[in-house]
Amino acid sequence: MKINGLFIETALTKFIKEELSKFNFKKGIFGLSGGLDSSVCACLAAKALMPKNVIGLIMPYGNLFSVDVEDAQEFAKELGIQTRIIDISPMVDAFYSRFPTEEKLLKGNKMARERMSILYDFSAREKALVLGTSNKTELLLGYGTIHGDIASAINPLGDLYKTQVRELAIHLGVPEKIRKKKASAGLWPGQTDEEELGISYETIDQILFKLIDERQSKEEVINSGFNKDDVEKIISYIKNSQFKRRLPVIPKLSERTIGHDFLYPYDWDR
Amino acid sequence: MKIAIAQISSVLGDLKNNFELHLEYIKQAKKGGTDLIVFPELSLTGYTLKDLVENVAINPSNNHYINELKLLSRDISIVFGFVEEKERGIFYNSAAFLSKGEISHIHRKVFLPTYGMFEEGKFFAQGKYFKTFPTPFAKAGMMICYDFLNYGASYVLFAGGAELIIVISAAPGRGNGKDGRFASQRMWELMGEAISYFSTTFLIYCNRVGTEDGKIFAGGSFLFNPEGKLLAKAKDIHTDFLIQDIDLHDINRIRKKRCYKRDDKPEIILHALNRAIKSYED
Repeated sequence: MKINGLFIETALTKFIKEELSKFNFKKGIFGLSGGLDSSVCACLAAKALMPKNVIGLIMPYGNLFSVDVEDAQEFAKELGIQTRIIDISPMVDAFYSRFPTEEKLLKGNKMARERMSILYDFSAREKALVLGTSNKTELLLGYGTIHGDIASAINPLGDLYKTQVRELAIHLGVPEKIRKKKASAGLWPGQTDEEELGISYETIDQILFKLIDERQSKEEVINSGFNKDDVEKIISYIKNSQFKRRLPVIPKLSERTIGHDFLYPYDWDR
Repeated sequence: MKIAIAQISSVLGDLKNNFELHLEYIKQAKKGGTDLIVFPELSLTGYTLKDLVENVAINPSNNHYINELKLLSRDISIVFGFVEEKERGIFYNSAAFLSKGEISHIHRKVFLPTYGMFEEGKFFAQGKYFKTFPTPFAKAGMMICYDFLNYGASYVLFAGGAELIIVISAAPGRGNGKDGRFASQRMWELMGEAISYFSTTFLIYCNRVGTEDGKIFAGGSFLFNPEGKLLAKAKDIHTDFLIQDIDLHDINRIRKKRCYKRDDKPEIILHALNRAIKSYED
């Protein structure tokens, strides 16, 4: 699971640069939370596109995440990338004043989609492509909001586990206070991924690596010394979130169907 | 003899559930005094398996589902589809013919569709041959889905003396047909009619129904007599169960007036094939 930071940096900056240029974009835009993943994305984008072409949108809900906002601003300044702070509470509150709920998850998902909606709006205004900040761990567990934080045009970190992103962050010089922060989906204040999942990211990633990369069976992973409940929980997370990793399924009717046998490359004619 | 065609919808990746479904239909077929029941391609596992292939793979020489089906085959012959792990880590899309408590024959799909919407070549190893085998009723030969769209495969079974050709299939419908059906269904019926007619054999085509990942399996299973006459036809798209009487003596009767089998010259065909293959190198 060990990564070579320089190699990953080289591969991902090349990918970001080429992919944007194929689609005639100079600029990249993404949600900057003050957490690990978006900070790493900011670094890579700054290296690939030059800092002036990188926009981090900081989208807090009121003043619920004020420490993170400060961290995000400070790090953006250090990198020399552009930022913009947009408070999403007026939009989210307007909706919930009509349809009140006490369900934290509903609200958290709504916030994630509000941020997505703003990102895509600014993507058009700024002619900047939306970069995703979801890592492999989150994507496999389905620990993200569909059409929310999972939405993006390209997702540079999608094949790096959370702990690998942390390693990459060290290589890229992301400040310790960001690296050491408890990971949070930011669905509500004080939420931490690990508390909610009930397993540490180190353990999750080791189990995922065995299951996915090494194609080990459930039994093999358990026999190699992992907790049975943890392994089963992780497998059920993976299975139950398959829909988040795929486009909506289209029933095949015609001779040529999107998603079935209409199979041009993503970089078609680019 | 009596033939049952079970046009079922298997549950993707769920051996236990599908096995129980098989039991239900076998029971029903036995009640109807049937000699042979035919299930669709990959009937024990579902079709769009992709990375699930290894999870549902079976080594038939040592598997309790197969053992139970073998026991049932003392009273009724059974054809079904499954993922076969013949050697460690090597998976085939296979069809088994069980009879008299034993596996009479296993056919491993030779033509694995890997184009457009199909990805079988990514997940399955290729079968190596087509072969006829004796059954309690007639000499039989099996093909799986895309095998049947290569008429050379049917010829091999014809040359091998097949009297009963069994095709099991998981064919998704495609193309908006003008007659209120999937356009692709004609392809199977055309082949079924032609092969039964020119091989002077009975021909069973058992397709599945249900949907998987947006594929809508078209059903429409059928049974042709040895002169291309449609004896039975299952519903399109919906689950169906057919029981059809056939008279194997029709083969004798029809072969008296149509001498394709008597006049076949496999050695000339083989010689010509060898020359054709050789000429590839020119």
